[in-house]
Amino acid sequence: MLTDSTLRAAAALVLLCTGAAICAAQETPPAVQTPRAYRQVTDEIGRTIRVPQNIRRIVSLAPNLTETIYALGLQDRLVGDTDYCDFPPEAQLKAKVGGAINPSLEAIAALHPDLVLVTKNLNRLETVQALANIGIPSYATDPHTVDAIIASTERLADLLGAPETGTALGKDMERRIAAIRDRVAPLPLRSVLFVVWTDPLISIGKDTFIADALQHAGAVSVIDSSQNWPHINLEEVVRLQPEFLVFAESVDTAGHTTDTLAGLPGWRILDAVKHRRFAVISDAVNRPAPRIASAIEELARQLHPEAFADTPQSDKDNASPAPRSSTQPAKSSLHLDRDISVSQECACAR
Amino acid sequence: MSSTAQSSSAWPTSGDAPRAGSEVRLSVEQVSYAYSANPSQAPLFTLEANSFQARPGEIVAILGPNASGKSTLLKLIAGALEPLSGRVLLDGFVTHTLAPRARAQRIAMVQQETPLLFPARAWEFVLQGRHPYGRTLRFESEADVLIARNALAQVGAEHLSDRWMSEISGGERQRVILSRALCQQPLLLLLDEPTLHLDIGAQVDLLATLRRLAAENRYTVVVVTHELNLAAEYADQVVLLQKGKSLRVGSPASVYQRDLLEEVFRTPLTVEQGSNGRPRVNLLPTS
Amino acid sequence: MRPITLQRLVLQCGILALILFAVVVVALKLGAVPVSLYGLGRDLISVLLRQTSQISSDYGMIVIDIRLPRILLAIVVGASLSVAGTSFQALLRNPLADPYVLGVSMGAALGAILALIAEPHLALPVWLAALFTPLGAFLGAAATIAAVYLLGRREGQIDSATLLLAGIISSSFLSAIIMFLLTTLAGRDFRGLVFWLMGDLSSPLQPSLRWVLGIGFLIATGAIYTTAADLNLLLAGEKEAMHLGVDVRRVRLVVYISASILTGLAVSVSGAIGYVGLLVPHVMRLLFGSDHRTLLPTAAFGGAIAVVIADTLARTVVAPSELPVGAMTALVGAPLFIYLLRRRIA
Repeated sequence: MLTDSTLRAAAALVLLCTGAAICAAQETPPAVQTPRAYRQVTDEIGRTIRVPQNIRRIVSLAPNLTETIYALGLQDRLVGDTDYCDFPPEAQLKAKVGGAINPSLEAIAALHPDLVLVTKNLNRLETVQALANIGIPSYATDPHTVDAIIASTERLADLLGAPETGTALGKDMERRIAAIRDRVAPLPLRSVLFVVWTDPLISIGKDTFIADALQHAGAVSVIDSSQNWPHINLEEVVRLQPEFLVFAESVDTAGHTTDTLAGLPGWRILDAVKHRRFAVISDAVNRPAPRIASAIEELARQLHPEAFADTPQSDKDNASPAPRSSTQPAKSSLHLDRDISVSQECACAR
Repeated sequence: MSSTAQSSSAWPTSGDAPRAGSEVRLSVEQVSYAYSANPSQAPLFTLEANSFQARPGEIVAILGPNASGKSTLLKLIAGALEPLSGRVLLDGFVTHTLAPRARAQRIAMVQQETPLLFPARAWEFVLQGRHPYGRTLRFESEADVLIARNALAQVGAEHLSDRWMSEISGGERQRVILSRALCQQPLLLLLDEPTLHLDIGAQVDLLATLRRLAAENRYTVVVVTHELNLAAEYADQVVLLQKGKSLRVGSPASVYQRDLLEEVFRTPLTVEQGSNGRPRVNLLPTS
Repeated sequence: MRPITLQRLVLQCGILALILFAVVVVALKLGAVPVSLYGLGRDLISVLLRQTSQISSDYGMIVIDIRLPRILLAIVVGASLSVAGTSFQALLRNPLADPYVLGVSMGAALGAILALIAEPHLALPVWLAALFTPLGAFLGAAATIAAVYLLGRREGQIDSATLLLAGIISSSFLSAIIMFLLTTLAGRDFRGLVFWLMGDLSSPLQPSLRWVLGIGFLIATGAIYTTAADLNLLLAGEKEAMHLGVDVRRVRLVVYISASILTGLAVSVSGAIGYVGLLVPHVMRLLFGSDHRTLLPTAAFGGAIAVVIADTLARTVVAPSELPVGAMTALVGAPLFIYLLRRRIA
């Protein structure tokens, strides 16, 4: 049976080990490494961080940043990403560190990254602070417009030591977006409701990059809110009567939305639902990454088909299964019994 | 050990003249009290100018109809309430001004209890009576355990020691509660309607125990009760209250006057003298 | 008749301490990254013997820098919540009381939100910026403690029933304000707050706060322990306690303030971890009895063990993702609560 002396010995052992652990914890200096040059960098939310001159190991905690890394061709430096980093498909093969909101600190630390990439939109400040506590710097991006996405991409490329690639990618994006702008500029803006989720009804705020992307596609969001993801009252939408409802592909698939809305009370009195004026575009619209240009183009084609009748869709960088051309009117056709002004080049209602 | 010597000798028939040779332990002097729902209103209840004295070994019974102030008077004696005027002295100390610990070492109260929230055994319950003697972080010592055991023995409840309190009821429960009070080794033992839920046998048993303990351990016992005949049988002094005033203080024989009792209790009765010199009250049918 | 003695108390605490030690060792081993404890143990011993000056094993940093502080935090938070829960159950004479019933957690949550809102608008020095949210949480908790105390008094001193009502109302009211802020504030994403509201130990504690937490815990627990014998009597009835020499007013005040501080500290650093403060006292009562002189220390150990286990599960079941530790305590706590109810301990 446990005697007093056994108890005392056990207590001493406990205290000894705990004390040793605590002392050791305070003594641990950073692991010995070959000396590297460091520099100070300011990220997009104004934090100043200290990173190696030559960043060799990166962990990305946001899917859009993973995409950007791949678009910049720097994926060899990416040593880990989140469970949700699914584009391009090769990103799935990288070591996983957990979710964007709740990644495992240990898993990130085990990869010994030089830098962790985060976004203000998706990741938590606590994660950034926890990483800073163990000596891992984080670089945050926070683009609110399409131009900002381009600038962010170029800055990131510059940070990672590949400024030319960044500039090239940026210019390419600008060119594509400018081409779209030229086509839709003479046409009237379509009023749209971008539906993030149907129940509860969530849309986008005016300060988000999605709202800005809509503008580049020749549309304007009917919702004018300073919250990023405002909850909208359906009555308000009925009052505003947007011309189109815009969905990301995953939202549509998840709820068979475009098929069922016509049967739902409240929704079915919307003109856009009655006349099936839906625009379903790829999920790329949700990520502030180079693919936003494709998303803008896709949207512009569906909102203003007459402006694109002469050009096939360019699918340089998407992996989405269904090509979105005007030969598929079912999901995106305009039923033109309304007085929507249409330019003479319209070759719709096929 | 029986010591009925005190109870069977001749009583003074009026007032409370001190017996020669024994010192007064408890002195209630012109104590009054009032409480109202809020300070600006007239008092809802007043207790006026009560006085009596008691000695070691004596049992005092406080009698009266409902709402006559019996419990209030008991609380004033216990020092739990501060009198509006007058004072209560116990061996020269004003009870109200004693610190809680010092008071608990001198005065023990047995009253209507609140039900226990978590299960406890009888010995745990009784051991609580040693609390006034413990230092802050102290556990009970062997001496404390001995005193608790002794207390249970004195009330004849040793066999209940290991039972759960929730399983004990009635007279046995009352005895366990009494033994907790004894653990406090008090000078003054106060009981508020201890016979309320007991059957007749248990009632008599309790009072007899009180008398024995008062004699053996030299307690001064003050009991609030409804039971006229029990009080007559076992009390050395009786305080008769009506609407906050003490109408009479003295031996049972001197207080139990038929007109007085009928007026106070508002029911026809007769008072006869028992064989041992103590009065007995008989209720008459009211029709 | 077997009253508690110091030897028995030390024995009981000793057993629990050993269990806690074993749990800590296992918790150090488990995690998203596999670790060899043997190698780590060797390194620890050599540091102890001053043979080397640092942990050399590659994963030592993970265990020492990440897991160990987290486990230590779990220990202090678990012990705080259990002691607070035991105290409130005694103070309010209610076996269903937990540390949050008097609104402290909601007050802390509101304080944290207000700090999050205010921070970008203030030019704070770096050291203060990191402390700002826990500081706001603790100030919110303190304000709630004061307000509920003032509301919960009757004739100038704490009355159990009134206090409970005041606490519940305050909790609801603060919760409504929090909901309002969360849904109407423009441009803020309080995603992290959801984790915090469930209880989350993944944010490491600033070194300066460690001392505050540790010392605060020791002082508050010590203060409560001095009233342990009084609490036993209080539970037998307030009037009885008074007649047995308990200074009821002082005891109530000391217990209320100390238990609220324990809760406030725990919640400020880890959010509102549920079920620990409610259930650990009951389990310890079943095992070791209701005498608070043993119940308080054993509950402290029990809470520490419970939260370390819950946190280890939270960071391993869906590794490398992490669950908030409050989700784990709820998953285990709810069935346990039903079991205890059926045993009619309440």
